[in-house]
Amino acid sequence: MTTATATDPATDPATDPATDPATLRADYLERLAASDEAGAVAVAIDAVDAGVDPEVVLLDVVAGAQREVGERWAAGEWTVVQEHVATHISERVVGAVARRAPAPAPTGIGRVAVACLDGEWHGLPARLLAEVLARHGWAVEFLGASVPAAHLATHVHRAGPDVVAISSSLPSRLPVARRMVEACRATGTPVLAGGPAFGADGRWARAVGADGWAPDARAAAEMLAADPDGPWFADGPAGAGADDRSAREEQTVLHARRAELVGVAAGAARPRTTDTGDVPDVPDVPDELADDLGHLVDFLAAAVFVDDPALFEGFVAWVGSVAIPNGLRAEEVGPALAALAAALADSPRTARLLRDARGRLPVVPA
Amino acid sequence: MDGRPGVPTRDATTDTGPQTPPRLTPEAPPAPPAPPSRGPGLLDGLEEGVVVCDRDGVVRAANPAARRLLPGLRLGEVVDVARCESLTRAVHEGRHGPESVEVVIDHPEGERHLRARRGPVLGPIPPPPLETGDGDTCWYLRDVTGEQQRTDTLLAAQERAAFLAEAGRALHGVLHLDRTARRVVALAVPRLAAGATLVVRHDDTVTWATAELGGGRPRLGHTGTVDLARVPRLAAALAGEGVGAGCPWLGEELRTLTGRDAAGAGRALRACPVPTTGIVEGLVVLAGARADQAADELGTVEEDLLSSYVARAGAALAAAALHEEQAHLGAVLQESLAAPRLPETPGVEWGAAYRPARETLRVGGDFYEVVATGTGQRSAFLLGDVCGKGIEAAVLSGRVRQSWHALRLLEDQPGRLLSLLNTALLDAVATRDEDPRFATMVLGDALPRDDGTVLLRLATGGHPPPLVLRADGTVEPVPVAGMLVGGLREARFGEAEVVLARGDTCLLYSDGVVEARGPGDFFGEERLAETLPRCAGAPAPVICEHLEQTVVSWLDGHDHDDVALLAIRAPRRDT
Repeated sequence: MTTATATDPATDPATDPATDPATLRADYLERLAASDEAGAVAVAIDAVDAGVDPEVVLLDVVAGAQREVGERWAAGEWTVVQEHVATHISERVVGAVARRAPAPAPTGIGRVAVACLDGEWHGLPARLLAEVLARHGWAVEFLGASVPAAHLATHVHRAGPDVVAISSSLPSRLPVARRMVEACRATGTPVLAGGPAFGADGRWARAVGADGWAPDARAAAEMLAADPDGPWFADGPAGAGADDRSAREEQTVLHARRAELVGVAAGAARPRTTDTGDVPDVPDVPDELADDLGHLVDFLAAAVFVDDPALFEGFVAWVGSVAIPNGLRAEEVGPALAALAAALADSPRTARLLRDARGRLPVVPA
Repeated sequence: MDGRPGVPTRDATTDTGPQTPPRLTPEAPPAPPAPPSRGPGLLDGLEEGVVVCDRDGVVRAANPAARRLLPGLRLGEVVDVARCESLTRAVHEGRHGPESVEVVIDHPEGERHLRARRGPVLGPIPPPPLETGDGDTCWYLRDVTGEQQRTDTLLAAQERAAFLAEAGRALHGVLHLDRTARRVVALAVPRLAAGATLVVRHDDTVTWATAELGGGRPRLGHTGTVDLARVPRLAAALAGEGVGAGCPWLGEELRTLTGRDAAGAGRALRACPVPTTGIVEGLVVLAGARADQAADELGTVEEDLLSSYVARAGAALAAAALHEEQAHLGAVLQESLAAPRLPETPGVEWGAAYRPARETLRVGGDFYEVVATGTGQRSAFLLGDVCGKGIEAAVLSGRVRQSWHALRLLEDQPGRLLSLLNTALLDAVATRDEDPRFATMVLGDALPRDDGTVLLRLATGGHPPPLVLRADGTVEPVPVAGMLVGGLREARFGEAEVVLARGDTCLLYSDGVVEARGPGDFFGEERLAETLPRCAGAPAPVICEHLEQTVVSWLDGHDHDDVALLAIRAPRRDT
């Protein structure tokens, strides 16, 4: 997802490998793959020294490479620890770039608090946003990854920022996003949402009540420069889904029964052969399978919450396509969905979503 | 249009000029025009007025109620003489006109609201026999003055209640003084005034906020209380000394204080002191809704609304100021107790994670410290857990950490240092009326050596044994144990030495990690030992971050104890 500025002809960097963002990104990614922190820092700092705009280094080189890292993880090529190591290195690089080319003093345009949703561990995109906004004159408070909703509320009360920017990569966090948005809006602070959690076009940002959505850090900076107060959605926040009482109730049911549902789905997906034929009290489910099914339930809850089947179907399509040892296998998805639909017959929306998703499954050779 | 409820059409009198006395004086009420001589008719007892007119508008019949409502009405004359223009027009339009009209008339007994509907024309009614003529209309008049007033009052009350509810709701959730101040002025415009300025004093800060019709976002500024000397009358008003409408100095002093024209400058200003709460002093200055409005006219109609609004503003400002004070206190305390930054030390890599049980508090009973002592020297570290949760535990942990910082300067041998800490903790508890407070901890130091290995010396009291993650992914617990710290003076503590080869990591953790209870079971030592090998080769901060995530996702939203992790690693490469 490179942007036009990556190859801005005005500076004509494309001819010089030392300043061409695409070349730099490839070099940088290579250093990440080798877990070479010093090398990665050198790529970024050398680029800044060679005259590349630090914002380009942060967004087109570091963030661009991190997106590739995320794709490699999603495709099952990298382990979660490898991804963590790469992200850790990129965090250090962001710090190094910020020290090498510090952001100018705030211009008084306003104060913004940047936070990741509770349970959102991908803190780097928010960290990058914080850096970019600081470079655009904002006084920025970066609250970090996985900020508990109560912590954010406390901060908003205490520091009184003009805007709260929340970041999330996982749509399964949308119910949490709703709580955080409500906490902010109760204080009259507008909320700008960002990150893939809110859908490719930000549609779910509206559903959780945010005042606006930005696809990336650059867009966020532009939106905030054009209108520091929001709301940025033309026709106001709060879409249909999240104000819908039954949607919220069904989501709450899913959340409360999560552990039980994981057990039910696991039993159906991978029937166990026991000597006695009894079902043991504590199901012996591999952690990887339990993780995948837990995510399945979370995405289901989020899809019910924002009333959008596409959210769930996107996850179902993905989870069957990734080969994690012991994880949910493609041929196990169908039985898991059927078992969940049976267990959730009392929740009509949820059950319909499950049936529809099951109907759309590709035929898997047994 | 005439028939609209509440719009006074004043049909009956005023067009004759102010000098003319009311045409029908109450001296002869009710003027009975040609009362039927043959006794009361069928309609005479009705409360509803009934008027029958022919097609030319001549009144053919009217019952006493109608004559009471329209004293000008005359039998045999055109309805126009009743001077009720809307009714006259409706009558003349006959059956093609409106079926009902509402009018306000000047009645000798005061302004009345009438509702008239065109109804069925009456048949012959004896006595007197009234022959129905073709084109007759019959009008039924009802006095709805009381009803109208009640409706108006109700609507106004509803509007005021809605405004106050909105004000309450908007002010209620804000616990930040500046934001509250902005909201107070934003709410006043345009409902109460064309411009509003708020001045609030809290401690030694004066905050002002101002909003103006069409002026965009409210503006806000701060100044010190010393500046109040330049605006003595405003200062007096803030302190609750008399101020009212039309004080000519208001605009001037506000300009002096805020450096800008008061909102709605040029209009009449009215000052409303915010009811004193003992926490903040405040003054709201409102500018007239209309440029020509006189000062004493401001808000006179809605005095009660104004005072309710100012009272809400005062309560919200006080709550915000109080919260800010408390929050500041808490923040300072938290800052002093929060997990410290890790040092950068050549030859030893550090990582940590911290998640207190009460996450809003950001501090808890778990703690860690790392102190670098110089290149090639031993770096001292400490990780522990005092019993309890929340701020009490955090304060006690602060005491333990301070003691450690001081004692490690005198004693660097871990076992002896732990004994000293034990004594210090017991002595400190003895000086207060406190129950004994126990702690568990691992402390020690790390010495980077020339071959890239790191030598650890450890001492432990009552704490889970540290784990060593070798570069190849094997996990070994360090076999060391000891008694609780702060329990007994003669407690015995275990000691151990560990050599970390390049890429090896030693992990110290608090029991919040293994006792994290998810929906099913505790996280447990086994699961921890199974998770660790996946982190082999990762930098120390990544190991801690990964473990924290694993534990939090295991918890699945359930409550947990404090969680603290400290990883000490011998880097794979020279740093």
